[in-house]
Amino acid sequence: MSLPLADKPLESGVSREADAATATWLLGWVSTVDHKRIGILYILTAMVFLAVGGGEALLMRIQLALPRNTFLSPDAFNQMFTMHGTTMVFLVGMPVLVGFANFFVPLMIGARDVAFPRLNAMSYWLLPSGGILLYYSFLTGKAPDAGWFSYAPLSTKAYNLMQAQDYWILGLACLGVGSVAAAINIFVTVLSCRAPGMSLQRVPLFVWMSFMTAILTILALPALNAALAMLLIDRWLGAAFFEPARGGSAILWQHYFWVFGHPEVYILILPAFGMISEVIPVFSRKPIYGYSFVAGSSAVIVLLSYGVWAHHMFAAGLGMGANIFFAVGSLLIALPTGVKVFNWTATMWGGSIRLTTSMLFAVAFLLEFVIGGLTGVMFAAVPIDWQLTDTYFVVGHFHYVLIGGTVFGLFAATFYWFPKITGRMLSERLGKLQFWLWVAGLNATFMVQHFLGLMGMPRRNYTYRDEPGWAVLNQIATVGAFLMAAGTLVLIWNILVSLRKGKIAGDNPWGAFTLEWATTSPPPVENFETIPEVHSRRPVWDRDHPELADSKTEKSPEDNGRRPGKARMCGWAFVASEAVFFLLLLVTYVVFNSRHGDDSGPTAEKVLDVFRTGMFSIALISSSATFWIAERSLRRGAQGGFRLWLGATILLGMVFLGGQVWEYSELIRGGVTIDRNLFASTFFTVTGFHGLHVTAGLVALVILLVLGVQRYLTAERSEVMAAVGVYWHFVDVVWLAVFGIIYLGLLQ
Amino acid sequence: MNWLATAELWNWASPVWLIAAILTAWYLWIVRGAWSFRAAWFLLAIVALAAAFVSPIGVLADGYLFSAHMVQHLMLLLIVPLCLLLSLPEARVEAWLTRPRWTWLRRLLAIPVIGWLCGLGSMWFWHVPTLCAAATESYALGVVRSATFFVAGLLFWWQVYSPVVRLRLPPLPSVVYLFSACTGCTLLGIYITFTSVAVCPAFANPADRIGILNMLYDAGLTPAADQQLGGLLMWVPPCSLYVSAVIGVLCRWYTQPTLAPASSASLPTTIREART
Repeated sequence: MSLPLADKPLESGVSREADAATATWLLGWVSTVDHKRIGILYILTAMVFLAVGGGEALLMRIQLALPRNTFLSPDAFNQMFTMHGTTMVFLVGMPVLVGFANFFVPLMIGARDVAFPRLNAMSYWLLPSGGILLYYSFLTGKAPDAGWFSYAPLSTKAYNLMQAQDYWILGLACLGVGSVAAAINIFVTVLSCRAPGMSLQRVPLFVWMSFMTAILTILALPALNAALAMLLIDRWLGAAFFEPARGGSAILWQHYFWVFGHPEVYILILPAFGMISEVIPVFSRKPIYGYSFVAGSSAVIVLLSYGVWAHHMFAAGLGMGANIFFAVGSLLIALPTGVKVFNWTATMWGGSIRLTTSMLFAVAFLLEFVIGGLTGVMFAAVPIDWQLTDTYFVVGHFHYVLIGGTVFGLFAATFYWFPKITGRMLSERLGKLQFWLWVAGLNATFMVQHFLGLMGMPRRNYTYRDEPGWAVLNQIATVGAFLMAAGTLVLIWNILVSLRKGKIAGDNPWGAFTLEWATTSPPPVENFETIPEVHSRRPVWDRDHPELADSKTEKSPEDNGRRPGKARMCGWAFVASEAVFFLLLLVTYVVFNSRHGDDSGPTAEKVLDVFRTGMFSIALISSSATFWIAERSLRRGAQGGFRLWLGATILLGMVFLGGQVWEYSELIRGGVTIDRNLFASTFFTVTGFHGLHVTAGLVALVILLVLGVQRYLTAERSEVMAAVGVYWHFVDVVWLAVFGIIYLGLLQ
Repeated sequence: MNWLATAELWNWASPVWLIAAILTAWYLWIVRGAWSFRAAWFLLAIVALAAAFVSPIGVLADGYLFSAHMVQHLMLLLIVPLCLLLSLPEARVEAWLTRPRWTWLRRLLAIPVIGWLCGLGSMWFWHVPTLCAAATESYALGVVRSATFFVAGLLFWWQVYSPVVRLRLPPLPSVVYLFSACTGCTLLGIYITFTSVAVCPAFANPADRIGILNMLYDAGLTPAADQQLGGLLMWVPPCSLYVSAVIGVLCRWYTQPTLAPASSASLPTTIREART
């Protein structure tokens, strides 16, 4: 295990062996399924995109350094802020956090790898694919320019004729699939792969936060995917989901985007909370103060984060009632977040603090994140939001959260865990230089933006008039941005130098507490030779200080030894994600079809044959029964019965699909196509995606049948069958909802 | 809020007093002098039950305001049953459930999906426009509706706050149970808040029985605003309650006494065993 930079074979002439060694080395990295290597790949890819996204930010700051500057054209400026936002969120923030989770979650819970190593590799490779799709747009003549949240109708075909927006959609869909797959992997790993004695109430807080983030990702990303699918159908197939001119609703895009977008904020900050919760106790030489508070309040954040999205839309005119409720919800969410700040502070209280670079970043996190958090609470008040939304105050607010919070947490984690990843220490001297550059840069750039915002400077405008004070404040911001860039260069230099000449770290250079420090640095491929016994939340501390062991003084709930089956948990997590996707499609159907208005076009009552589809529905629903019998036969070892009933299931599924083809062809011949009206668009989208899921299910069933015929699938391996069963029954349940809502007209 | 003082808004002659009296007699018989702080929960349950019908909530819910109907609905479905469950003495309830006569009930209660479906189902079912209107207009159907809310609430909360602690769902499944319930009522709440359909047509054109309609309209409670408020009430208070319950469950989870693997096998404490 070593870094790509570290053990690149030295150039020894142009010999064949060296070439072969390079090829093997490269293939080793490209084809790896080791969670540690994949974690490193995630982090390195994120760093590449950090350079790109940071470069875009610098270009914008140069443009804004002078009033009425002409460095960037208005069009180029739009592309820069869109690509900067999209890159930083989807190609830097999420991947680097997933990378750290990938590397450290299995190590911290004493597992050999993640639950599904090959799925892990797929998740990673979707990241560069998505990044390339997004950046390929530059070659089509223009990059996406509708902002990172691509508000409709600006993102619809009428206002965005070039292909850039399509690349944005496809890139994000690709990244979304990868993120959900990675999240499912972390989710199942934490549930099913913990070492003996490691109860869920004992996992290190970084693991717990990654677990919470995984749940957030699984349930939030499909909302974005559903919205992207509809936007793509608008753009390519001529539907009008988000085009008000043709009856659609632009507000709906805002709802869907922020149903994803607000949990996304927590996806970006919760892992940083976890990192801080590892770093502060270690460098204060104390256990975390109030473990259950920190962990429990994060669970509450996860629950609340789905109910506050509309505070991003106060200016959209939702009505006073909705505004009040969402304002209250948003104020509430400050509580579980604020609690943690007290926990971290109390952890330091009375501790023996070592101000390493890692700890410095953690302390700065507390200060800067609180600033960002408090301005966030201000925005929960509707009148303040109306006054300040879409000004630089917002830009200042969320950069304090994302840099002061996420990035500083990441830097703390980088200095803390670099020795474990590479076996060498980073230079503390360079680290402190980087720290001060970043602290100065962050505050210079974004503190002044609060004032600019209060003075009324709108965000996303390529330039500004020479109002009193605006130029000076903007110049301070630009200088700050370059300070942060310099800080990043120092970090890269530090990494390059330390990889070759850094001090050898040893297993546990910081005297840390958790399991990743129980193995060598860097860890071997199999992670652990022997796993220390886990009796408390700080197993390595207990091992090194038996006389002061936590397990003697502080009782934490014992492990009950139960570990749910991996395949089945994967099935449930996937189904939960898909449920959110269908939920949004169905909500769209209800929204557009429960209105009274123009009834001239086709509607459900006019064109759908309820009886016929009802018959085909019976085929689909009975396939659930046959599947259940097949599964039972397999568990009882009745191979013949298993194959017979599984074959029947496939047949019934195909009958249903056949019915759908019949229905579609009749509708299309009757002139009911997806671009006809909103009923047709929503109908084809919902039933089409459902049909796609039935098809995917049939593929899985055929694979099972083949495995059954080859006598590979036996009673001991029935877990796989159960996992596919979760999916197949889910598809049927979705159809029941679809049939009730569309064909029977419930809720209208 | 002067209009709250109007005498017509208080229904002191409501038959709910009869039910409250029967419940109180029943409760006194159960405790038989063995008083504890639990009686406070019972008192709260009775107050909530009476308030749901006697106070302006009950009067306005009867044909005037959808939002008042929603408050009544939430009190019957969530507050009263929860307080009642918390007020029951554990040993007594456990003794009942072990009687052979109640085996079917024990089996029923051991299936969390049933509790979930009852809680969510009654919310969705009674807000189908025709049913909602019918239950508001017909007295008998209204009584049936109130009764189903109450029973469904008992079944729903039983899984999380059963008086018999060992029959409760384990903590993590409880969190999933409550969170998914929150999602369910969020969806309904969103639908009611943002839809242009009159979810309960009976409230769209109220018959002005006691001459307060203009007063309500002057206070801003027009049918559209009323329905929006009702939707938000369906959404935010139950979810807040569920999230509070989740916090409670998590506290229990983190402080639960040492649960050695052997103990769960030797005692009939798991749900699966309760089912048999």
